[in-house]
Amino acid sequence: MLILQAERDALLKPLLAVTGIVERRHTLPILSNVLVEKKGGEVSFLATDLEIQINTASPEALAGENFRLTTSAKKLQDILRAIPDKTMVTLEQQDGRLTLKAGKSRFNLQTLPADDFPHLTANQAAEASFSLPQRELRQLIAKVQYAMAVQDIRYYLNGLLLQTDGQAIRLVATDGHRLAFAAAEVETALPKSEVILPRKTVLELYKLLQDSDEPITIDLLGSQVRFSLGATVIISKVVDGKFPDYNRVIPLDNEKIFLIERAPFLQALQRAAILANEKFRGVRLVLKPGSLSILCTNSEQEEAEEELEIAYDGGTLEIGFNINYLLDVLTNLPLDTLQLAFGDATRSALVTIPDNPNFKYIVMPMRI
Amino acid sequence: MTRKIIHVDCDCFYAAVEMRDNPAWRSIPLAVGGRPDARGVIATCNYIARRYGVRSAMSSAQALKRCPQLLIVPGDMARYREASAQVTGIYRDYTDLIEPLSLDEAYLDVSGQPHLGGSATLMAEEIRRRIREEVGITASAGIAPNKFLAKVASDWNKPDGQLVIRPCDVAAFVAALPVGRIHGVGPVTTRKLNSLGILTCADLARWSLADLVREFGRYGERLHALARGEDDRPVNPSRVRKSVSVEETYPTDLPDLEHCLAELPPLIDRLRARLVRAGEPAVRGLVVKLKFADFTQTTVEQSAQGVELARLACLLEAGYARQAQPVRLLGVGVRLAEEGQLPRQLPLFDTL
Repeated sequence: MLILQAERDALLKPLLAVTGIVERRHTLPILSNVLVEKKGGEVSFLATDLEIQINTASPEALAGENFRLTTSAKKLQDILRAIPDKTMVTLEQQDGRLTLKAGKSRFNLQTLPADDFPHLTANQAAEASFSLPQRELRQLIAKVQYAMAVQDIRYYLNGLLLQTDGQAIRLVATDGHRLAFAAAEVETALPKSEVILPRKTVLELYKLLQDSDEPITIDLLGSQVRFSLGATVIISKVVDGKFPDYNRVIPLDNEKIFLIERAPFLQALQRAAILANEKFRGVRLVLKPGSLSILCTNSEQEEAEEELEIAYDGGTLEIGFNINYLLDVLTNLPLDTLQLAFGDATRSALVTIPDNPNFKYIVMPMRI
Repeated sequence: MTRKIIHVDCDCFYAAVEMRDNPAWRSIPLAVGGRPDARGVIATCNYIARRYGVRSAMSSAQALKRCPQLLIVPGDMARYREASAQVTGIYRDYTDLIEPLSLDEAYLDVSGQPHLGGSATLMAEEIRRRIREEVGITASAGIAPNKFLAKVASDWNKPDGQLVIRPCDVAAFVAALPVGRIHGVGPVTTRKLNSLGILTCADLARWSLADLVREFGRYGERLHALARGEDDRPVNPSRVRKSVSVEETYPTDLPDLEHCLAELPPLIDRLRARLVRAGEPAVRGLVVKLKFADFTQTTVEQSAQGVELARLACLLEAGYARQAQPVRLLGVGVRLAEEGQLPRQLPLFDTL
């Protein structure tokens, strides 16, 4: 029985929005499937790993019968991707099998009953809700997400702290060696609240955020958080844990302060990094009145040296860092000029945007 | 051949360096350690502070409770290393057989050395005088035919003193030595020995090797030798420290995981203090050791770059799960990186 007829992109685009979270191997086989549902003209797609769930709808009304089924997310996605753009696709369902036809191609897929598909049910009461342009949240996340820990045993670091406080929202990420902080204003006055968004949720959300003025609405639902953007809704559990107090590690008395042009600094570090030790990634910075030198040495005793002219007339300092931590912040801040502030060789350095309290990057040195 | 071993131990080394550089601190209770509000630990304190009951490895908060006027200064490893290198330079004028135990402690084998007519006693006196004059701190020394007795002896007339145990004095000295002074015999073993009627090494020497091994396992063999003042370990100049660890045998077994976890923080504090004393070497892994009520033991380890409570707690949980029975001993330790000079990323948070 024919159940759906649509152009390839009307199916592929919403499908791709939800399949990013589908795990390849799961103890529950049905979780490698995507739930496809048609009600009236609307076709919706839903995927979940039981921690995070995304559902979205096709942008336009589509012809066909009402139906609900689940089938392999990966196979459906791979098939649609491989079909030429603008091709008309039909779906037929018979005896628990799904047949996809496109031009002279034909695919017969297994399905599992839609009623067996597990859902995350959203909590009802929202503690706080606010909206902001997608572009703004996207830029905010971009400034901090690279500092999240990856599979750290301190599980609460494998995510992003989202704090609301009056009209301020703040995002903080740290892996225990460096910390990124970004804040923004929203129109709604919000209660004091904080949640840790899981790393996977943050990465998925970032992919879905458009560089546009269209709004995203965020609802804090206790143990869950919901993001609504266009036809897409993400429901995610939050990390149950205590995020470290970031205020404690913001250095306040770093006195060796100067401004630096981001692009030349980044390029110099990228060149020096070629000869940084593959394992430890150490870089030595030597700060002197008027100049900043960058030195890298690898295990074969090869050396790279760069020198930048800077407007600085304070004391000298030699300090080591993991060069990746410096490259990360410089790559992810789309600005011309940054401010650096150092204390001594054993204390954290602070990277900020001149005259802007809404961004901070704190990085601990490496003893080299 | 009878050996001549000197054990030199600088008196409250870090605090001594600080007092040398800040003479005003000589007359007040002083400690080198971490901040009390950041779960800091005392690494060393001067003798005035010790009169108030301040001890190494005690939490800084606890130390301030015992001695409110205690001045706690953060350590400056660079200066301590420099002083330590100066001291080692002095040793080198007497022998090349030097085995450093930490920045402030070393064994010297001066057997057959020609200086000062070959007298180890005179060499130790001259070494201590030169440390005082050239480095500006004091040291104590023990002179004996082996490492075990030299170490006991250096502690005897501390601070700024020395004790010689000549080969002919060994038997009498050891006989009167309380078993608690034996290196490696802690409070729990002392209690066990005492309960068996063993108070001194003379008592211990009356036990047969077989009986000691039955009571104490492999350590019984070592006790048997030490009770006679025997210790043939050589002074090993190339000995590289591969790990640093601390452990505790509990008077009553810890009944469950929760009790074990509760004992972690004090163990970690002691481990941190030991690491500071060892000159903060680069860490490449963490180890947790558990000995269960039935004396089986297990160790769990994981690579890591620093001492972190959360990681050690996970290792402890994993180790406990292997047996899930009461625990008589817990140990925590670090594996050290092969070279002392490996780069090391500093942590942003002290206590995660």
